[in-house]
Amino acid sequence: MAHIHLGEGSFPLWALILWTLIGTGLIGAIVYRVRKGGIKTHQIALAGIGAAASFAVFQLNIPVWGGIHMNLTGLVGILAGPLLGSLIALVVNIFSAALGHGAVGLLGANTLVNASEAIVAYYAFKTLLGMDWDVFPASASAATLGLSAGAVLMGVIIVVSGVNGSALPRGDLTIAVAGLVGLNLGVAVIEGLLTGFIVQFLASVRPDLIGLADRDSKEEPTGVTA
Amino acid sequence: MQHWKQYGGLTALFATFLAAGYWGFTATGGALPWAKRSAKTLQRGVQEGGGSLVNLGRGIIVAGPIRKGGMMVEFGGIVALLAALGVGLYIYVDRYGGLNDEQPTG
Repeated sequence: MAHIHLGEGSFPLWALILWTLIGTGLIGAIVYRVRKGGIKTHQIALAGIGAAASFAVFQLNIPVWGGIHMNLTGLVGILAGPLLGSLIALVVNIFSAALGHGAVGLLGANTLVNASEAIVAYYAFKTLLGMDWDVFPASASAATLGLSAGAVLMGVIIVVSGVNGSALPRGDLTIAVAGLVGLNLGVAVIEGLLTGFIVQFLASVRPDLIGLADRDSKEEPTGVTA
Repeated sequence: MQHWKQYGGLTALFATFLAAGYWGFTATGGALPWAKRSAKTLQRGVQEGGGSLVNLGRGIIVAGPIRKGGMMVEFGGIVALLAALGVGLYIYVDRYGGLNDEQPTG
């Protein structure tokens, strides 16, 4: 799904600085909110599992639409929430860049893209549930919408930044990037369906994990210290 | 909400995005891996291209930079580490109902 695969030096320096600063600001705000508001311990466990699943599937090319990889960021957002979902996006991108999948200089931009997927998916899911939708259509729609938001943001980042070495004028570049975004929308359907099935299954066996029932435990939000 | 409205909305969303996806697939070179597609498209603009939407013969493969860079062991190690950490935390939290005050969460 949406992920900028350009190599180091593809973006001009000002763009690298801009996206890195915005990404840092987003992560800083999230860390502040996590420290201030606290998080439930079961969410931390879910975040660990979500990070593992997202990282693993991030690196697997599946032979559909020419060869794409999924992110599971929509699922991560629905399960772990927008705050931890964004932190997972950061962690997955750092590990991926360390292995050569995605440029280190684009960590800020890629974190923004993937965090937006988790955030939009979470709020879309909650909104649709609030409108009395069933779990499957709500989660599949929410994940698809979240992933499409990430795809559009990816396109905006590339067009605004421009690509070093590309002879395309900005107008042609915009059309070219629109093609990439369009392809991502198709992939979002596949990932949205997969997310819908997973969340539907979780809702049937552990509804507490997706906030559909109270947890049968004594835990309270623990807050985050130090 | 009525089921037909929910699933109708979902179907319309999927149909719109699949149509956009198919246009993007052909306009960006057809059956190309994402990294090649991305580089080619951003350097040369949109070009029509064909090829099958699904190519099962290619199988599911690990991303090129990891596979060709000889980092499969590192990849497997990170996946195993994250999975073990996540499952371990999940089991601990599920069994004992959460982390206590002596073990701050962050």
